[in-house]
Amino acid sequence: MSMSHAFRRVIRRETHSPRTGAMSIAVVLALLALIYIGTEVVLSLLSLPGLLISPTAAGDWLTALPDQQPVWAIIAIAVLCALIGIVFVVLALTPGRLPKHQILRTGRVVLVDNAVIAAALAQHLSDHTGIARERVTVGVSRSTVDVTLAPDAGIPVPDSRIRELITAQLDVYQMARPIKVRVRTTRQREGTLA
Amino acid sequence: MNDTNRFLNRALLFLIGVILIAIGAGMVAVIAWPAAADWWTTASASAQTWVDDAIRRTMIAGSTLSWGSVGSLTAIVLLIVLLIIAMARLGGGHTRSLVRTGGQDSPAGRLVIDTGFASDALRASLDERSEILSWRISVVNVRRVPMMHLSITPRQNTSPGEIADDVDHLLDNLAALTGAEIPSYLSIHTGLRSRLAHDQRRIA
Repeated sequence: MSMSHAFRRVIRRETHSPRTGAMSIAVVLALLALIYIGTEVVLSLLSLPGLLISPTAAGDWLTALPDQQPVWAIIAIAVLCALIGIVFVVLALTPGRLPKHQILRTGRVVLVDNAVIAAALAQHLSDHTGIARERVTVGVSRSTVDVTLAPDAGIPVPDSRIRELITAQLDVYQMARPIKVRVRTTRQREGTLA
Repeated sequence: MNDTNRFLNRALLFLIGVILIAIGAGMVAVIAWPAAADWWTTASASAQTWVDDAIRRTMIAGSTLSWGSVGSLTAIVLLIVLLIIAMARLGGGHTRSLVRTGGQDSPAGRLVIDTGFASDALRASLDERSEILSWRISVVNVRRVPMMHLSITPRQNTSPGEIADDVDHLLDNLAALTGAEIPSYLSIHTGLRSRLAHDQRRIA
């Protein structure tokens, strides 16, 4: 089935970062280094003075590296180099998952930003419990929905009711991945004016 | 959505990262560790004599150039060209035709439906919905299958389930109109614009 194959490919590609930005930075750095080295080689072939240093002088400098001064500056550059390298390698190897969820609709691929789901759930809770929208905070991650409520005094809403509302709504969306619901209620201090 | 070669992206990142780590770690080792420093001085000196020797041995007769230097310069230029090609190949994969039927052997000839057609067909329905702030259609070839990508940014607090159901319905209608079930991908996004166009009325 080439179709489901294409769908799977779209889902995988669209839920993971292509690392295009980091790759561009790395490649531009490499290009600059190569262009510089190339220029120095050409200048030395034409027996012209180098821009900064001729290849032969660079070789001598490298050979004497253990005794070069100032040590702290060379160490600092080396550490910076290694750190940038570590960042690149980590970016190359980590999955780079994007904050998106798949919702199921037959014959189509539907991917939704987590923030869209969070805002919609918060609105839904507010509509069905009477708690002001501003007092509902919802966070959606890969495996959990985090609900934080700060209900107004006098409107008791049991956690189980919140959980029910969220679960029912997630069923309506038809989430592709099972997702846990966590509810937290923060008590408003009585007698304060908001 | 595009057809960027992600493996190449990550492979280049990894390679350049490893080279940077090697340079950095090597420099630190050579400066801070006496044993490494001794090894480095001998190795580097002998490498230098080897290079000088190689350049002298490969001198092009009757000139001051040597095949050694010309060769290394060619290698550098080649690397530069390869990296530029890698950059230039980012993105892409977009096509204009949504449906392509028949061909030379079909008596009815070939039918090509353009992205613009789908876009026009969906425009009326999508534009009249106030909960949809912006939308965009593109077609990308995924493994030679043209895949329609409909990207929608709804107003904040809009149910993604409803959007998906509505679009599902619209795409069914489009399929009936074109007579071809077009594989489609719907992405529902959030953005600065959707946050600014909040649907809650606030009393300032």
